[in-house]
Amino acid sequence: MSSSYLEHANTDKAAHIWRYTSWKKTHPTGIINDIPESNSPEISISLVNGNPIPEGVSIHDATDSDIERLGHELDFDHGSAAPKFITALVPKVTILSIKDKVKIESPLIVKISTSGNICTARLLIDIGSQVEAEIITIIEGDANWTGILREGKYGANAIVNDVVTQITGNRLLRCDALSLERDAQVKAGTVNASSSQAKVDIRHWLNEPGSSLKVNGSILSSNEDHLDSHIEIIHTGRDTRSRLEWHSACGGKSNTTGTGMLKIDAGAKGADAGQLFHNLLISERAKANSIPELEVLESEVVGCGHGTANGPLDEQQLFYLSTRGFDEEQARSALIAAFLNAPLSDMGSEPLHGWLIERIEKHLNMI
Amino acid sequence: MSEDAREAVGDYKAGWHDPENATIRFDFGLSEQVVRDISALKNEPEWMTEIRVKAYHHFMERPMPTWGNMHMLEEIDFDKVCYYLRSSDATEKNWEDVPDDIRNTFDRLGIPEAEQKWLSGVTAQYESEAVYHSIREDLEEQGVIFLDMDSGLREYEAIVKKYFCSVVPFSDNKFSALNTAVWSGGSFIYVPSGVHVEMPVQAYFRINAKNMGQFERTLIIADEGSSVHYVEGCTAPTYSTDSLHSAVVELIALPGAHIRYSTVQNWSANVYNLVTKRGIAHENATIEWIDGNIGSKLTMKYPAVILKGEGAHAEVISVAYSGKGQHQDAGAKIHHLASNTTSKILSKSISKNGGRGSYRGMVTVSPKAENCKVNVVCDALLLDEDSRSDTYPTMEVGNSGARCEHEASVSKVSDDQLFYLMSRGHSEEEALALIVNGFFEPFTRELPMEYAVELNQLMALEMEGSIG
Repeated sequence: MSSSYLEHANTDKAAHIWRYTSWKKTHPTGIINDIPESNSPEISISLVNGNPIPEGVSIHDATDSDIERLGHELDFDHGSAAPKFITALVPKVTILSIKDKVKIESPLIVKISTSGNICTARLLIDIGSQVEAEIITIIEGDANWTGILREGKYGANAIVNDVVTQITGNRLLRCDALSLERDAQVKAGTVNASSSQAKVDIRHWLNEPGSSLKVNGSILSSNEDHLDSHIEIIHTGRDTRSRLEWHSACGGKSNTTGTGMLKIDAGAKGADAGQLFHNLLISERAKANSIPELEVLESEVVGCGHGTANGPLDEQQLFYLSTRGFDEEQARSALIAAFLNAPLSDMGSEPLHGWLIERIEKHLNMI
Repeated sequence: MSEDAREAVGDYKAGWHDPENATIRFDFGLSEQVVRDISALKNEPEWMTEIRVKAYHHFMERPMPTWGNMHMLEEIDFDKVCYYLRSSDATEKNWEDVPDDIRNTFDRLGIPEAEQKWLSGVTAQYESEAVYHSIREDLEEQGVIFLDMDSGLREYEAIVKKYFCSVVPFSDNKFSALNTAVWSGGSFIYVPSGVHVEMPVQAYFRINAKNMGQFERTLIIADEGSSVHYVEGCTAPTYSTDSLHSAVVELIALPGAHIRYSTVQNWSANVYNLVTKRGIAHENATIEWIDGNIGSKLTMKYPAVILKGEGAHAEVISVAYSGKGQHQDAGAKIHHLASNTTSKILSKSISKNGGRGSYRGMVTVSPKAENCKVNVVCDALLLDEDSRSDTYPTMEVGNSGARCEHEASVSKVSDDQLFYLMSRGHSEEEALALIVNGFFEPFTRELPMEYAVELNQLMALEMEGSIG
């Protein structure tokens, strides 16, 4: 594993994925050939409503055949240093399995509690066909550096809302590599509220016909946070659909980056894809970068587009709220909350949304 | 043009070549001696020779870009390029004095005819040197300077020394270093304060020889409150071996000035077009790049504007057509350094027969630039299954008061539009050509009429055989 990483350790600085946060800066020691000791986080599952875990849902150590079946780490054609590094570090591989046709009524919480200096996890996600579930993965704990690699697939006809909340206060590297099987409908959400330095690389493959993906991001940065998210969606199957909506509220002296790659491979006829990055600059010293990229190799598409919008809080909206009795701080907070809530409210059901709002508000109040 | 040649040229109308009658031709390959020889031949001041030599060393040390179409870039063999070729001993002011074969070339391209009708001045560059140059007398009397760059350096050395490399340093990129080392020809324009050059001035660049490198250098300075519109056109013969065009253009728009720089690039499909174009806009100045890329094998061109003064404005309108074997990697860069600056980028591309069109752009807003507004729109049309379109926009916003928008879309030609036009009596091919011309209309309407008509005809020609 380590030799595979070392072959890719020297990254190309011209690649957009490393433009704002180099691999050297992401690496826990800053010495890119160093493969330090790492421990494993505690991973547990529970339901939001407190009921027992339903039958067909389990979390356990993965076998070699699980890794071969679900691992995507080799599919990274650029930026592969990060997943290969985590693979080289992890002491063990865990698998979250939801068997075919299982329907979970309450959101499933996957808690990843980190500790120590360097903590890494490789979590395989095996969602069976016709599964209906909401999954909230919480990355929390006090490890100085956390690396999480989530790989796997959403089965045919599965309907899944998969949300990751990043509330570890220190440095985080997260790589997601997930594929959608035929007619799967997935909403993949990311909520970042307190990581001080996060490098996130989320990739989804729509390889089979009819699959549909919505990626939502609700990112709050403050103080001197450095948050860099790369979201890649690759359409290779016919009649696939994807949307990305990424909202970043940038405060303090933070530096927030959103890079996206929307790729329509030749043969992905009928693809319908769009991505949107919104950056709200709420402090004079905050900085926002965005590179939404498109590569289209198929002409028979429904449409492919992207957009970015950067701007301050709307003066008219602030004025309106002030006429309704809000003081300036309240009005600003309300508008920031509404901005972050737009993708949040699209991440899943009411219980899931309520659970998320509770976490976000806590951090918003802290700012 | 022989039948064989016609066959090789195909639809590319400017693809013939004349016999090569060089008065001076350097051997292939680049060395410090070649750089010094070019400078000595032009009898340049020592400071220019020194810049050339420094740039040469930078070029040799600097690696090739690790982004863009690296596969095509790697095919360039810098040892098989002729870095200087002169076909005429002097830059003539009378059309009749230009050598017959060269005059014949430009006559066929319609340059003197255009000059009489609608231009304020013309420079015609053939290989490495300008062969013809003229400017309307009334403009000359108002103090407008329009010269080829070599004459500009000889006659206005102080101005050239002040501004040369001030906008595009030789160390900017590998190809700006190459241009600075071996530059020859190009235009030098100075418009005095308050003078408005009503009709466009034009430069026409022609590569005739095989394996030729053309490295013109253009410097345009518009003094306070002045305005000028510069138009350039480019063609080359179709050879089986590749030629290299690597220009540098520097624009300086002083307070309140307005520079519009229009290009219709129609190099043949064996030319690498690797160009650095950049302007600085001071207070309330405007710089506009109107950029059409139809020809070449690989174009890498990102016209840039540095908005240095408060209230400055930049606009880039570009279109690109990528046909078989072509990659148009074009875009725009705008840097907002001052408050209340605004910019607009509109990019349109069409890819056909396996061509690849890329938009690569960058917009930055510095932390001190308050109240800036940016609007970027990229649209691409894919006409067949083999073609490809990419969009790589970058936005770096460091000021919370900035409003920046970017949108892009990739689509195919709408069946509804085709059906409507065909129901009005057009063939499918005509309907497609009309749709394509309509798609490019925001660009063509900014061009002088003659160029717009030429471009529409060119696109109609490219659309022939698109159906079936």
